Amino acid sequence: MKFNCNTQEFSTAVATVVRFIERRANLPVLSSILVTADGGRVVLHATNLECGVEISIPAKVNEKGTVAIPGSILAGFLSNARGKTTSVTLVGEMCKLETERSTASIKTIPHEDFPALPRVSATASFSIKSADFVKLLRSVMYSTSTSTIKPELQSVLVYGEGGKIISAATDSFRLAEKTIALRSGGNVPQLLIPSRNVAELVRILEVVGGETVLYYNENQISTQVGNVYYTSRIIDGAFPNYKQIIPKTFTTEAIVLREDVAQALKSLSIFSDKFSQVSLTFEPSKKSILLSSRNPDVGEQTTTIQATISGEMATMNFNSRYLSDSLQSIVGDSVRLQTNGPGKPLLVRDSSDESFLYLAMPMNR
Amino acid sequence: MERFLTHWVRSRILVVPHTRMTTTKELWENALVELEISISRPNFNTWFKDTHILRVDDGVVHLGVPSQFARDWLSTKFHKDILGSLRNLSDSIRNVEYVISRGPKKAIEEMRPPAAPTELQLEAVHTKTNLNPRFSFSSFVVGPFNELAHAAAQAVIRSPGIAYNPLLVYGPTGLGKTHLIQAIGNHFRVSTPDRKVHYLTSEKFAMDYVSSVQSGKMQWFKEKYRQYDLLIMDDVQFLAKMEKTKEEFFHLFNFLHDSNKQLVFSSDQHPNLIQNLEDRIKSRFNAGMIVSITAPDHESRLAIVRTKAIQHNFILPDEVLEYLASTVEGNVRELEGALNTLLINFEMRGRELTLADAKVLLRGAGSPKKVVSVQEVVKTIADFYGIDENSIYEKTRRKEIVRPRQVIMYILREDFHISFPSIGDKMGGRDHTTVIHSCDKVKRDIITDSLLGQEVHQIRLMLK
Repeated sequence: MKFNCNTQEFSTAVATVVRFIERRANLPVLSSILVTADGGRVVLHATNLECGVEISIPAKVNEKGTVAIPGSILAGFLSNARGKTTSVTLVGEMCKLETERSTASIKTIPHEDFPALPRVSATASFSIKSADFVKLLRSVMYSTSTSTIKPELQSVLVYGEGGKIISAATDSFRLAEKTIALRSGGNVPQLLIPSRNVAELVRILEVVGGETVLYYNENQISTQVGNVYYTSRIIDGAFPNYKQIIPKTFTTEAIVLREDVAQALKSLSIFSDKFSQVSLTFEPSKKSILLSSRNPDVGEQTTTIQATISGEMATMNFNSRYLSDSLQSIVGDSVRLQTNGPGKPLLVRDSSDESFLYLAMPMNR
Repeated sequence: MERFLTHWVRSRILVVPHTRMTTTKELWENALVELEISISRPNFNTWFKDTHILRVDDGVVHLGVPSQFARDWLSTKFHKDILGSLRNLSDSIRNVEYVISRGPKKAIEEMRPPAAPTELQLEAVHTKTNLNPRFSFSSFVVGPFNELAHAAAQAVIRSPGIAYNPLLVYGPTGLGKTHLIQAIGNHFRVSTPDRKVHYLTSEKFAMDYVSSVQSGKMQWFKEKYRQYDLLIMDDVQFLAKMEKTKEEFFHLFNFLHDSNKQLVFSSDQHPNLIQNLEDRIKSRFNAGMIVSITAPDHESRLAIVRTKAIQHNFILPDEVLEYLASTVEGNVRELEGALNTLLINFEMRGRELTLADAKVLLRGAGSPKKVVSVQEVVKTIADFYGIDENSIYEKTRRKEIVRPRQVIMYILREDFHISFPSIGDKMGGRDHTTVIHSCDKVKRDIITDSLLGQEVHQIRLMLK
């Protein structure tokens, strides 16, 4: 095998692909990047058997062939490589890389055991703008659970109905949901994508832009955007029926400036205890919300923010991170907070945009 | 894993010729034995993990595999091997189909939440002082049952070596004695890092003593313990049985006490009631402060459960907390155990537990009310006073018998609500007025005679 390619392109592609390798694999070949050179293109593959990626870049192929190169070593060398072109030659079991200034020889791994990436037939698919899909996933992905006990909560739910595509995530203490209108395609069944794989998909889509088509079946979801093919396992499980826990009526409702809340929470976090607890008191008579946090070892703080407020007075405690997390998904100036009082969840929305919804459970103290 | 596999393969090879293959599970296990030999170990471990036969239909084996990766790879790369090995075991098999299915069971290890490394470090025992940082005043719930002990501990912290020296905390197991005395140590360690704190159990002290005698390092032993500014010793009642250790303890006690170093002890009963403990040691304990921790009342139990739940970042409905506090009576340790049961279940289910869930989970957690017979009461109290059980029933008026007999009547009346005539009957046919007199006398004396009060308290603990 022998080919020449643009160092910059090669290096960027390897840097993306290397995130998919399995470093502590039972199967040593999974820690490698499979490089295939054929017909004017070089294709890089990597997989950890949870998700996989394939990137093709243009190259001048002198001699076609396939080789598995330890991923982190290849990526490490290329990230520091200078010069315009890189030439890659396989000599015996050593892979020789040459740039204008430096050369390296990397021991390869037998590639016969490298698994093929699953392909999803094109029967079921939906098409969406990459930027929109990124927004859809980003708006909710921080709410997934970190515990491995329930794989369905460690995933982001994506489904489509009535010309809209909806994403949701919950760790059973808070819930986030985002809706985006879909131009084509309508009904998408519930797809549970593992949150780790979602993060990688987001990073890929952020770079390529344009329109993306997502193909799915009951086990796998995949997409081909530009020169990148991505595929991820789909979790076989049932996402909780979260619609029923979203309250419809409220006893207290407030509209506040997003910036005010963000700033108050940031400042209160200095004084919050190890559970990051902040207390919110809705005071309709004073047209304000009183926020306070207290740590016996540090001290305490109270902050008042102006609010348009109606309904009953209520005091509730929250994990401040659970509140501030939601603000990153709200782009408008003002936030609507709605609740039914102590012990009941708090609903957070953009006051002028109904597409995002966030539900946080209070702390029981 | 590998070791297990080799072992498993060996045992299987021996077993195969003798067993008839009846189940699909056995069929697949035997096929795996064959496959493992022909396929490299990494490949085998990666691709054949979590595979299982779902069913066999008309010669077609439906093989469950965990993912599409596995399905694609097994069917393209290993199909021949799999089919071959299955055919070797059963001629009727014609083909293999691969179906993506989650395994029938997940390994237990995977169901448990991974231990967070940061938490483990927090729990680690501080090596120099032997203190566990988990025991602090901030996590100590104060209620009527332990507020005196807590106040004494606070006084010790304010003026160590002067206020109450020694401080001895006693009470039954699992009520937070160790927590309280370690909290004193932890507070010291943080507030005055230059002063030397040491925590140990009396058993550790005894072992240390014995080994230093054996290795002839007595001097080193003496110096080691005399350097501390605060010495905390848990479960001192065990010292009573160890003659030589007790003597060394006595000298150490005197040395530290004379140089105004604070001493803190815990014991499961009042020092005056510890058998085989010399009076000189008892009187030294009495010179300081002796406080008891009793079983928590309902409100305190509720507060404890709340605090513990919050420590675990675990939200429970009030009714469940209430239920927990009312069913699991007495011991705080049992309370914590019951809470842990709920916690694990909560994590596994991933939803809030209802009162009904809690009731099912905690079935059998609450300690059943012990039924105590009159004979048992008599025996316990007779043993306590070191007299023959039968003498209680006799018509004797010897002083050493009369007192225990009166206490028995008092306990039977006060704690077990038995009628006066029936108590008289059970005590060897005494008149009910005698019983009334005895109960009244003990009731009066308890107030003035503190030793009697302690004895009755101790007996009640033994009868619980």
